[in-house]
Amino acid sequence: MERRNFLKNMTLASVAAPFALNGMNYQGVAKKLFNYSKSAEDRVLVIIRLNGGNDGLNTVIPLDQYENLLLQRPNVIIPQPNIIQVTPEIGFHPAMTGMNTMFNEGTLTIIQNVGYPEQNRSHFRSMDIWSTGMMDVAETRGWLGRYFDGVYPNYPDGYPNATNPDPFAISMGYEVSSTCQGLMANFSHAVSDPFAAVNLVNTGTTNDGTYYGSHMEYLSILINQTNQYADTINAAANAGSSLSIMYDTNNPLAMQLRNVAKMISGGLKTKVYILNVSGFDTHDSQVSSTNPIAGEHADLLKQLSDAVSAFQNDLGLLGIANRVAGFTFSEFGRQIASNASFGTDHGDAAPMFLFGSCINSGIIGPNPVISNAVNAQDAVPMQIDFRDVYASILKDWFEVPESEIQPLFEQTITYYQVLGACNVGLDELVDERNKGIVYPNPALNNATVRFKCQSECVKLELIDTNGRPIKQVYDSNLAQGIHHVPFELHGLKAGNYFVNINKASGKETIALVKID
Amino acid sequence: MIPDQNVIGPQTTSMDPYSGTWTKQEAAHLLRRTVFGPTFQQIQAAVNVGMDAAVNTLLQIPVTSLPLSYDPNETISAVGTTWVNSVYPADATSAQAHETARIKSLGAWLMKRMNTENTTIAEKMCLFWQNHFAATLAPDARASYKYHLLIRNHALGNFKQFVKDMTIDPTMLLFLNGATNTLYSPNENYAREILELFTIGKGPQIGPGDYTNYKEEDVAAGAKVFTGYIVEGLRSTTMTAPVSTYYDVLHDQSTKQFSVHFGNQTITANGATEYADYIDLIFQQAQVAHFICTKLYRYFVNYDLTTDVQTNVIPVMAQTLMDNNFEMLPVLQQLFKSQHFYDVAFRGAIIRNPLEVVFGMFNPCQSAPNFGLATNSDMYVAMYAYAQTMGQAYGTPPSVAGWTAYYQAPAFSKLWVNSTTIKSRFDLANFITLYTGIPVNGSNFKVDALALVNGLSAPNNAVAVIDDLCTVFFPKALTVAQKTLLKFILTGGLPDFEWTVDYDAYAADPTNTSVSNPVKSKVEQVLSRIFQMPEFQTI
Repeated sequence: MERRNFLKNMTLASVAAPFALNGMNYQGVAKKLFNYSKSAEDRVLVIIRLNGGNDGLNTVIPLDQYENLLLQRPNVIIPQPNIIQVTPEIGFHPAMTGMNTMFNEGTLTIIQNVGYPEQNRSHFRSMDIWSTGMMDVAETRGWLGRYFDGVYPNYPDGYPNATNPDPFAISMGYEVSSTCQGLMANFSHAVSDPFAAVNLVNTGTTNDGTYYGSHMEYLSILINQTNQYADTINAAANAGSSLSIMYDTNNPLAMQLRNVAKMISGGLKTKVYILNVSGFDTHDSQVSSTNPIAGEHADLLKQLSDAVSAFQNDLGLLGIANRVAGFTFSEFGRQIASNASFGTDHGDAAPMFLFGSCINSGIIGPNPVISNAVNAQDAVPMQIDFRDVYASILKDWFEVPESEIQPLFEQTITYYQVLGACNVGLDELVDERNKGIVYPNPALNNATVRFKCQSECVKLELIDTNGRPIKQVYDSNLAQGIHHVPFELHGLKAGNYFVNINKASGKETIALVKID
Repeated sequence: MIPDQNVIGPQTTSMDPYSGTWTKQEAAHLLRRTVFGPTFQQIQAAVNVGMDAAVNTLLQIPVTSLPLSYDPNETISAVGTTWVNSVYPADATSAQAHETARIKSLGAWLMKRMNTENTTIAEKMCLFWQNHFAATLAPDARASYKYHLLIRNHALGNFKQFVKDMTIDPTMLLFLNGATNTLYSPNENYAREILELFTIGKGPQIGPGDYTNYKEEDVAAGAKVFTGYIVEGLRSTTMTAPVSTYYDVLHDQSTKQFSVHFGNQTITANGATEYADYIDLIFQQAQVAHFICTKLYRYFVNYDLTTDVQTNVIPVMAQTLMDNNFEMLPVLQQLFKSQHFYDVAFRGAIIRNPLEVVFGMFNPCQSAPNFGLATNSDMYVAMYAYAQTMGQAYGTPPSVAGWTAYYQAPAFSKLWVNSTTIKSRFDLANFITLYTGIPVNGSNFKVDALALVNGLSAPNNAVAVIDDLCTVFFPKALTVAQKTLLKFILTGGLPDFEWTVDYDAYAADPTNTSVSNPVKSKVEQVLSRIFQMPEFQTI
């Protein structure tokens, strides 16, 4: 995929687009938010921000590139025997046992090489781009805030109210999230302790049109909201429960996610929860100088992986797993070559994780290609635009029509299948979970078929769009269970293919895109 | 709510000297922006000396005392003496205990500086620079102290020299990895942030790796320039301070090529002072003065850079800075004496940061703990923790860009206040007025309501008391109803003369608690209300 040219076209196109005017006046989005189907209405999105720039290459390790990685980052690389092998081509950092289990259970998706064109390596600018979902420097609203603005144009005036008694979004901790920044106010409500009772007195003056007046109005609304939202949040947190024993009380992210589970199970109608993990800016001591599988990055990934897997376990026990999905993001990945301080400097693209019972599980996108020459400042080039991922989440998870998603973004959106697995009936859902998948998809030179079978003979073949067989992948007896069968795409032309899974218990055909 | 672009902006952007009326309103505005919490007497004194003299008084950095040992875990330096030049013990556990003791002492010392600041801009300037060169604490409290002292010594000094000295400061070398940036493996961290955040700032991205004012290749070249410095003596058992040392063998001796944004100039190998050559090159860009003046403006005047401000104010400030070879004093004099600064549009235009909340409560009441070194220090550590709970831990800004409220559009200072932190603000207000105050070692510290009321213009007059309290705590006039409510709290709903009777009884016999307590508790109730008003949250 050649993204540079694509970007140039996009930049030109964006100049003439209406959003250039004052960062406002997007095409109106009038329908009630997330109300397109009953299932979408009850759905919750959990966003976990990895602050500082996560080193993707030590998180999802491209095993087929290991030799060159060893050349480039000898002092931070995870020794091969310690890597958790996820597929023949991909390994996880050894701290990520929880996420590995999730992947095997089909509740974790890896989206590889996610970024945006012409990466900006400033933490602050890059986080702004990720938060706004726009390259346009004039935009100050977050991608969700922009969407909420379209649906609730007068917010915060008149909220909460009888129709919308709960916060639209909750940011766990002491800060609101720039992802939810709207035109007049931030749609996220900061909650550090959902059990804290609040009863603040309000005496604010009216807005006299000055800066001071705007602060008075802001504070006055905030005090009212804080009181009113605290009541519904308290009620939900007290009514809700948490059933998993996997939460570690020393893991701050796990403790926050447990509170999120309680609020959701207690009936809070909040659509979005945002959580932060800081410390990913690992310029030094990313790994311990004496033990490459220990260090700051290992601790962070363990915190993340343990917390998310405990949360997923809890959602299952609470019976609400089909209502909750989440993802992780970071402002950038890190450079391929390490530095002398056992760390890595700011880079470009990195993997995202999607989690939940309704994900289209698998691996989206091929492994990055690592050169055998150390070029200063080289990083993983982006192949999947994060704005496409965000748009796909709106489409799959909240079932927002494409016609209303496109105006929220400046590029022509490419949709990926990310969270659509539950957009089917209940019976179909069971089938969906048993369906075979091919990953990564799109794929470069290698791909793997994952499928479930009885104890039976299984024949796998690759065919082209005209049904002509291209390659025999597998033909033999297999035990009952889930199997991963890798195969090569080397030498095939870029384009669309299908993988046929022939077995006595049922035939399946899976589309596969090969790229160069 | 009213969109930002419709807010009534300043009427004048003239940087000519202010010549309008000089009353308590204007003087209080100046003081609210330059100190943490002015007293009524400070405001009155500023009125009396006039604007020019008031500004000149503020723009001085007083000499300060040293942080002192007080924690029992500190065994190397005696209690009541300073630890800033003391070695560490050899045992790692004991060294860590000393570090904790010293950091607490340093934190207490910083809070004491703000709590006892007097009429000087020193503490506000130090916070400005802490936010600008936003390093977090080093693993050696002596280095952290040294970093802070560097800030204090340069607070009103030469910006260019400041950047040079900061570049090789041990805390900064550790924070942005300069200490491990060598010929053999350059680390770009400092080279990037010095451009993006400390000097010229990042412009729009106009091409791959091109940020208008610099390119990625400048970051890489700059990293090479900065190679060679390491930090020695951290928690040393023999060295009395950590130091930055230059090693020529670790330095990249190549000629560094800079991009078109730096006129395609090169920096040739120049050993230990090569970094200064590069900083001279950076300072050739006019954008440096523009960048730092914008930051000063946002910190001291207003977050909103209107077109008029960008056209008429920032360029004038930047020119003053450049005309004076980057000396800070002239540009600050110009700003605080300008017509623009006193425009009524700016009264209350900034939401208080957490330290302005904490010391905006204590300082106007002339309240400073006075119980002995150890107890005082732990009370200051508690104040540090309150500000931290509200989102501002001095010494550990959340990122190298500082606190978001100083740079994140569009909310800026609104970011200090959300549903969680507004509650923390109000809880503290109650705690130090109506409740026990900060408890340490059996002593309690709260606002000194009597000292506050005694310092007002006519303390036995209920109307005057409320008027004066409004001058001290609010940037703009309250409504009649709000003032009536406050007076109602002060008098307990009785006629005004009852307050006069009560106060006069106390004034006649000030050590008699049976007459002082009623006065004290009434004022505390008023303060509790004031501190929880939205109006108080602004400066």
